[in-house]
Amino acid sequence: MNIAVCVKHAIDEGELRSDSSGRPQLQGALAKMSTFDRNAVEEAVRARESKGGTVTVLSLGGQDWKKSLKEALAMGCDRAIAISSAGDLDTLATSYYLSRALQKGGPFDLILVSEGASDTYDGLVGPMLAEWLNLPFIGYARKVEIGEGTVRAEVALDEKAEVVDAALPAVVSVVSEVNSPRYPTLLQIMQASKKPMEELALDSLRDERAPLAAVKVLEVTAQPVNRKRVIYEGAPEESAQKLLDALRKEGVI
Amino acid sequence: MKLFHPEHRKAVEIFYEKEYESYCALLESLSETLEKDVVPLSAGFDSDAGGIAAARKVLFEQGLCRMPFEFHGGLSLPFGMYCLGMELAGAADAPTAMSLAIHNTVADGIFRFGSESQRKGTFEDLVSGRKLASFSLTEPSSGSDARSMRTTATRKGSDYVIDGTKTFITNAGEADVYFVLARTEKGHTAFLVESSTPGLSVGPDIPKLGMRGSRTAEVRLEGCRVAEEGIVGEDGRGFEYVKAMLNGSRIIMGSICVGIALTAYQKSLAYAKERRLFDQKLSDMQMTREKVANMRSDITSSRVMCLYASRLKESGAEYASEAAQAKVLATEMAARVCDQAIQLFGGYGYTNSDVHRHWRDARLLTIGEGASEVLRMLIAGKELAASG
Repeated sequence: MNIAVCVKHAIDEGELRSDSSGRPQLQGALAKMSTFDRNAVEEAVRARESKGGTVTVLSLGGQDWKKSLKEALAMGCDRAIAISSAGDLDTLATSYYLSRALQKGGPFDLILVSEGASDTYDGLVGPMLAEWLNLPFIGYARKVEIGEGTVRAEVALDEKAEVVDAALPAVVSVVSEVNSPRYPTLLQIMQASKKPMEELALDSLRDERAPLAAVKVLEVTAQPVNRKRVIYEGAPEESAQKLLDALRKEGVI
Repeated sequence: MKLFHPEHRKAVEIFYEKEYESYCALLESLSETLEKDVVPLSAGFDSDAGGIAAARKVLFEQGLCRMPFEFHGGLSLPFGMYCLGMELAGAADAPTAMSLAIHNTVADGIFRFGSESQRKGTFEDLVSGRKLASFSLTEPSSGSDARSMRTTATRKGSDYVIDGTKTFITNAGEADVYFVLARTEKGHTAFLVESSTPGLSVGPDIPKLGMRGSRTAEVRLEGCRVAEEGIVGEDGRGFEYVKAMLNGSRIIMGSICVGIALTAYQKSLAYAKERRLFDQKLSDMQMTREKVANMRSDITSSRVMCLYASRLKESGAEYASEAAQAKVLATEMAARVCDQAIQLFGGYGYTNSDVHRHWRDARLLTIGEGASEVLRMLIAGKELAASG
């Protein structure tokens, strides 16, 4: 079983600061492996542990992005493919170049991605990858089971869950409930630097189908969050009851 | 709560420039584990002697105790990296960090002075976390004046029989192996005593001001028979070994205090930025800013001193005085910073254990592993000897 997992070196949203006008300071912001991608890596490593084979981790980026690949290697991936890109690409181009790298580095039986990146959360790279590769796609899987030539997934939808099958090879995106990602030990992190990492330039992947940038991000601003600022007065039991009633009324619980 | 900050990156960049990326990755990963598996439990440990066992297990699995050792499962990382790892552990939970630091002092003693079979056996068991160690030096009538200890080890054939009482022993009751200093005919000698040895018993937990998550108790040795192979190094040289072990351990205690202080500082800073009085934020008041500046400078200077002493140790230079300076500076700093954190919180600081526990934790370390006064004697003694 040859598994591929695609990860993004995303802006660490927990460390993002805004300037005085509320604009997030993206220049020089700290980055890390996208939070949900850790779930995809964990699922890939678990699949390899139960079915054997290898796990290849791929990432496309331009600055420090190999850090996320090294982290994935420390978590248990066997080899990495680093696709170097000088500028930002939109999801269409990202998925195209990833698909080309997958074709070049494969063949793969299963390609795992996360539901979306924790910084931009477009959730488009997975389905677009499947399209470029002409493979079946299962999105938002919260449980993944690999059979003989098939993958079965439990898919979380708003008010129901579906169990779906697809023939391998396939692309599957997972949600964060699928597993609890491991934290590599210090020894595993140190050993990861000895695992193979292949670097591919965008030019080496381009063919006649290469898309032009379809979407350009012009500006990123923070969305103001309006809070209700309700204070319940009275004895603790009484105010707790009021809070409970209000949360029920809002449909939160 | 994030534990690994840009200030840690800067420290790695300044002290370990060549390995900047890889060392930051190690500390960042350690920090994420601490944030996930230790920080949420830390406040609860304050009322749970022995509660830290689960947190300790997490850090054993991560490999924190393997960091400074070269062979037998060690990660061959520089001592300063171990310092920064222990600082992060101290920031997450002080009693867990202290328990592991003392455990690792024993591992260090075996690594440096023990026999090959002790290294392959007990040492590997200790750094992997298969076994827990306790460092048993202090006695009811001798703390700082360790040379005057009364515990004896009497030769009986090829064995030694140990009799005596050790007190204020961290990890007592949980440890699998006790590193015990006792007097033989040749002088102070270090022994490894397994917890299952007949005659070894542990008293009830001693209630403490702080560091309540770690267990502290008396260890009684009554006719404990230990084979000659249980001696660490040579008969009669135990005191010399202990002094060497404590030099490294003192830097680590300093680093743990840097972590404790940083946590208390960050909590109080966040509070000062929220709390309003006299129509302004507490953080906008001049006297608050003086506190913030002093706390910040105190923490940074202590970290730098701990790393400087570590670099001396790494280079093979004499570092006993600098280790003592690091411990005095950092432990007294932590008590001061944590006290100021309480002050900034006001009544909430005095009544909320999640604020004042940091001061209570830090307060131990100006006493344990070399009281400030004794360390000042050491520092001054070396200064005066050097100046003729």
